[in-house]
Amino acid sequence: MSSAPIDYDKTKSFLIDTTKCTGCRGCQVACKQWNQLKAEKTHFFSGEGYQNPPAMTEHTFTRIKFRDYQKHGQNEFAFYKEMCMHCNEPACASVCPVGAFRKTAEGPVVYDSKRCIGCRFCMMACPFGIPKYEWSKAFPLVRKCTGCYSRIKEGLQPACATACPTAITYGNRADMLKEAERRLKNRPERYFPAIYGKEEAGGTSILYLTHQPLDELGFKPVTKRPLPSYTWQALRLVPGIFLGVGGTLSAISWFQQRKERIRREEEFKNSVVKPEQKEEGQ
Amino acid sequence: MTAAQLVINEIKGYHRFLKFMIFLVVLGALASLVRFIFGLGATTNLNDTYPWGLWISFDVVTSVPLAAGAFTIGVVAHVFHIKKLEPLVRPAIVTGFLGYSLVCVGLLLDLGQPQRGINVLRYWNVHSPMFEVSMCVMAYTTVLTLEFLHPVAEKFGWHLPLRLLRTLELPFAILAAMISTLHQSTLGTFFLIAVDKLHNLWYNPLLPLQFWLSAIFTGLSIVVFEASLVHKYMGQPDESELLATLTKIIPWVMAVYMAVKAYALVFLSHGPLFDRPVLLALFLAEVLLGVVAPFCIFLTKRIRSDKRLQLRAASLVVFGLILNRFNVSMFGMEQAGQQVYVPSLIESLVTLGIIAAHILFFVLVAKYFPIFEHHPEVTDYRIPDGFRRIEGHGHKAAGEAVH
Repeated sequence: MSSAPIDYDKTKSFLIDTTKCTGCRGCQVACKQWNQLKAEKTHFFSGEGYQNPPAMTEHTFTRIKFRDYQKHGQNEFAFYKEMCMHCNEPACASVCPVGAFRKTAEGPVVYDSKRCIGCRFCMMACPFGIPKYEWSKAFPLVRKCTGCYSRIKEGLQPACATACPTAITYGNRADMLKEAERRLKNRPERYFPAIYGKEEAGGTSILYLTHQPLDELGFKPVTKRPLPSYTWQALRLVPGIFLGVGGTLSAISWFQQRKERIRREEEFKNSVVKPEQKEEGQ
Repeated sequence: MTAAQLVINEIKGYHRFLKFMIFLVVLGALASLVRFIFGLGATTNLNDTYPWGLWISFDVVTSVPLAAGAFTIGVVAHVFHIKKLEPLVRPAIVTGFLGYSLVCVGLLLDLGQPQRGINVLRYWNVHSPMFEVSMCVMAYTTVLTLEFLHPVAEKFGWHLPLRLLRTLELPFAILAAMISTLHQSTLGTFFLIAVDKLHNLWYNPLLPLQFWLSAIFTGLSIVVFEASLVHKYMGQPDESELLATLTKIIPWVMAVYMAVKAYALVFLSHGPLFDRPVLLALFLAEVLLGVVAPFCIFLTKRIRSDKRLQLRAASLVVFGLILNRFNVSMFGMEQAGQQVYVPSLIESLVTLGIIAAHILFFVLVAKYFPIFEHHPEVTDYRIPDGFRRIEGHGHKAAGEAVH
């Protein structure tokens, strides 16, 4: 987990305007190239609809999802880029026993593969189902979108954002939110009135604008509360409970021993001591 | 005769059942070897949708509360100072020691990088429930090992450690309860992060409290369960009179548990409860068969003397707990319309091997170490450095009925 508080307004964020996405999948290719991810042998229509590959895997950090719908009696496509949301307060970072995940001040949530013990709690915890496992290996690690941390540290934009001809705007989170709100205000007929990622999971570094209602496009309905707070509300009690249980049990035990001692002393006082007779009991 | 021949001869003398257990353990060990050669993906039915399967659900989430007998009976006998329950403590500690050791084995098999397990000690993340459970399991396994040294020291006549261990008996009992409270409840905290994933029938903020309470009454029930079986199959003395004391304590904890569960279900869960018929059936089975039914049995007068009824009630509690932990960690996590996870053959063999190992080691420990002779009326505790019997109270050595 991070030590210094992060100013989320200044973290680098994606504004993905799905109404401008043409479905070219240049982002998918750029991601594979930059991260040197293996190609996957896939078949068309092996998954849901037109999207290919059928699922995000250890070899696919981002992909375009396709949704067909009808507009004025004609078939149309809507696209949605699936990737790590780079949450402000990531669930993966909070549950990892060795702190292998970290929200950087620049924005991306990065993963330190040298720390990982492979427990897969991050995969359980992620509300967006992003971390993937190297199931093919005997000693697997977790893989996910890095937010191109190495690129943005050098002043570049992430590979997918660079490759995208139309839909991705990249910049400070506050600016991206302002821009998204401006678009919603200027062209209300073009957009569904919501910014996915503004408050989802306590706010993320990926912001989406859509034309269709979010659930129709396949966006997961996610709690607005930061996920780490759900477990922290129990875990913060741990030191108190630890000492409380210890204290209570010690007190009870002292009290019970005392009762026993008093009983024995009373017995001793009331008994007539004969020196040749051994003390009975136990 | 060489040492190997001695061992083989010894094993030849074992009961058929024990030989079968040895077979299962070897099979499980081979299966876990296969996991390390071919990887998790090839040998298990885990995938990105189901990152946790049988090994986490049973070997960790269920085994830990099943091994809770050690700390609960320790508190009842030592802290509350109910000395007559002393004979029940040691078998419970052996069960706990074996249980936790096998939890560690199960966990290491499930980790992708078991060789880096030590990283938990190097990089602390206090926000992680998994970190807390790992620390607690390590600490508690150590405590249980020390407690288990007690009969070992007696067997070999190590006087100094024995004297030390006797002095530390009470502090250890309290420490065990402190550590167990933390990790038994934190196993519930694991699933608090699964917002919108775990079904509302189980998801609520009081899950950790429920995990802790159910671990307590299950721990005590396991002691009843085990003592009944040991009497039945290992020819140990009938302890049903002592168990009757436990059957008076268990329903109180169960009542609190049911109250908390009902409160959480009615007031603290959000969203639909009755939208998934299969989950609803599992929930009802868990609550009615696994909690309400044994609760009613524990309330009857007959259970104080009827050892068959004691065993039946304890078995129901154990069943209820297993179903509860599977409901929370597996069934309740499956989303509607998703492909259902079924453990693979390798996964099942490993888990079966772990259960068999527990039974096998318990019987073997009972065979070679003084586990059941720990009766206060025949042990002279005033002599700190010797396991001497009070004269005139001969007690037959344990673990012979298995032959």
